[in-house]
Amino acid sequence: MPDNNSAIEIRGLTKRFGALTAVDHLTFDVPAGNVVGFLGSNGAGKTTTLRMLLGLVAPSAGQATFRGRLYADLADPLHEVGAVLEAANFHPGRTARAHLDIYALAGDSPRSRVDDVLDQVGLTSAAERRVGGFSMGMRQRLGLATALLHNPEIFILDEPSNGLDPEGVRWLRDLIKGLAADGHTVLVSSHLLAEVAQTVDSVVIVDHGHLVTQSSLAKLTAQAGMVVRIRTPRAAELATALARDGITATVVASDRLEVSGATPEQVGTLAAERAIPLFETTTDAPSLEDVFLHLTTTHQEVSS
Amino acid sequence: MIRLVHVELLKLRTVRSTYGMLAAAALLTTLDAVLIAAQSGSSTRPPLFTAAGLRGPISTIGFALLLSWILGITVSSGEFRNRTATLTYLAAPRRGQVLAAKAIAAGFVGAVFGVVGVLLSTGVGLAFVAGDGYSVALGGTTIADYALGAVVGSALLAALGVAVGSLIRAQLGAVVAILLWGFFVESTLSNLVKGLGSYLPFTAATTLGGAPLATGGFGFPNSSSASPLPFPAVVVLLVGITAAVSALAARTTVTSDVT
Repeated sequence: MPDNNSAIEIRGLTKRFGALTAVDHLTFDVPAGNVVGFLGSNGAGKTTTLRMLLGLVAPSAGQATFRGRLYADLADPLHEVGAVLEAANFHPGRTARAHLDIYALAGDSPRSRVDDVLDQVGLTSAAERRVGGFSMGMRQRLGLATALLHNPEIFILDEPSNGLDPEGVRWLRDLIKGLAADGHTVLVSSHLLAEVAQTVDSVVIVDHGHLVTQSSLAKLTAQAGMVVRIRTPRAAELATALARDGITATVVASDRLEVSGATPEQVGTLAAERAIPLFETTTDAPSLEDVFLHLTTTHQEVSS
Repeated sequence: MIRLVHVELLKLRTVRSTYGMLAAAALLTTLDAVLIAAQSGSSTRPPLFTAAGLRGPISTIGFALLLSWILGITVSSGEFRNRTATLTYLAAPRRGQVLAAKAIAAGFVGAVFGVVGVLLSTGVGLAFVAGDGYSVALGGTTIADYALGAVVGSALLAALGVAVGSLIRAQLGAVVAILLWGFFVESTLSNLVKGLGSYLPFTAATTLGGAPLATGGFGFPNSSSASPLPFPAVVVLLVGITAAVSALAARTTVTSDVT
């Protein structure tokens, strides 16, 4: 049963293209008001999943819904869901303004919104230019402008940073943070984990069409071998206490220990419960790429 | 539905190809009509002071109709060529309605092609008649009937083009196929099988505009002795063909993945 707080529910979603299974019994939720990163390497099934969610590709099995309703059944889809799927979605002979005019009319939004979103994505000066001459970054911005046009509650962004320069990536990050602050739900896919780290509440990782994990970033890094370094005058006592909770801790000096398989919050809470003072807590976190590789490699080993 | 039609009309208004095809239709229709009018009174064509002679340039609306048909094809197949189908179906997920809106919008613009074509062909014919000092051999009602037929035929072919373009998504292939069909296939079939031309869509549409059977509306020599269908029958025929192809296209469009 769908969670009442879920904006998006994916249930047993499967897509087969002949002998190839692009998405295989995928199940996850996107809580309302959250920003969720949808991660996986190229070919992991992210785009196919998003296209099934948006009614563009028919699932072989399962269902993908917005609050229990298929995209095609939404009363006013453009006002409920804004999507950016790929950069090459525009008629090359049409100007940016004309493109947005068409989608303003399609969603029955005032044409004044066109100027608003052009300004929001930084394309005002290029409004009268034909899209065929746009760079990939400009196309991405135009795609985002189209999605923003009707101020929907939910955003589906498929690799939105593709083609953006560093300044554009920062702008996108701020845009997503702004959407989150305004209470929007955002599902953003990426194959570059570091790009989403600063903006998402949690991540869904897929590999070869399978769900690898859905988790917060902090929990994920802990799972993947984050080491917490502690300085405390009672290092041995804390190590014993952690061991009782099944957490591996190694005393490396009389006042230092290293903890793996736990977050700093877990270690700090346990120390506080036993009134053990902590003078210093640092983390030696693996990079997000390390986390991703660790998880997908583990998943592949389990699968095979 | 009305909003969807407005959206499709706005799409057509905001690309240069629409105006380019209309300009091509106007230019080719004018040249063809001038050529036919200039040849009138020769050994192959009756003189302009006769009804048959004046009918020659006035009914050379083949290019307008053919380009209207191609316009319809580009309206639907262009969505896949330019990969704009994704946004179109995100805005309007009920694909059958999108197809219907495109057919209606293309029909409107196709009618404009018909108006432009018939104004030019009739204008050329009457200008030659006036230039030669002849009286107009066709009655006003007949000329008006030809004009109405050209507009209706052009609109219906554009709508049919939308359905064809939905079935054959490779735009270049579809356009080439239609050009061959309009220029050669129907004329050849009409000349080979007596009476068949009346039931072929392009030929039937050209007869609405007054073109004799098997001339393709281009002023080709007429070797068919069969009579065209009456006006209402041609309209029913074209609407029927468009509905049948549209139904097939709708089934394909609704079930196919947009990747």
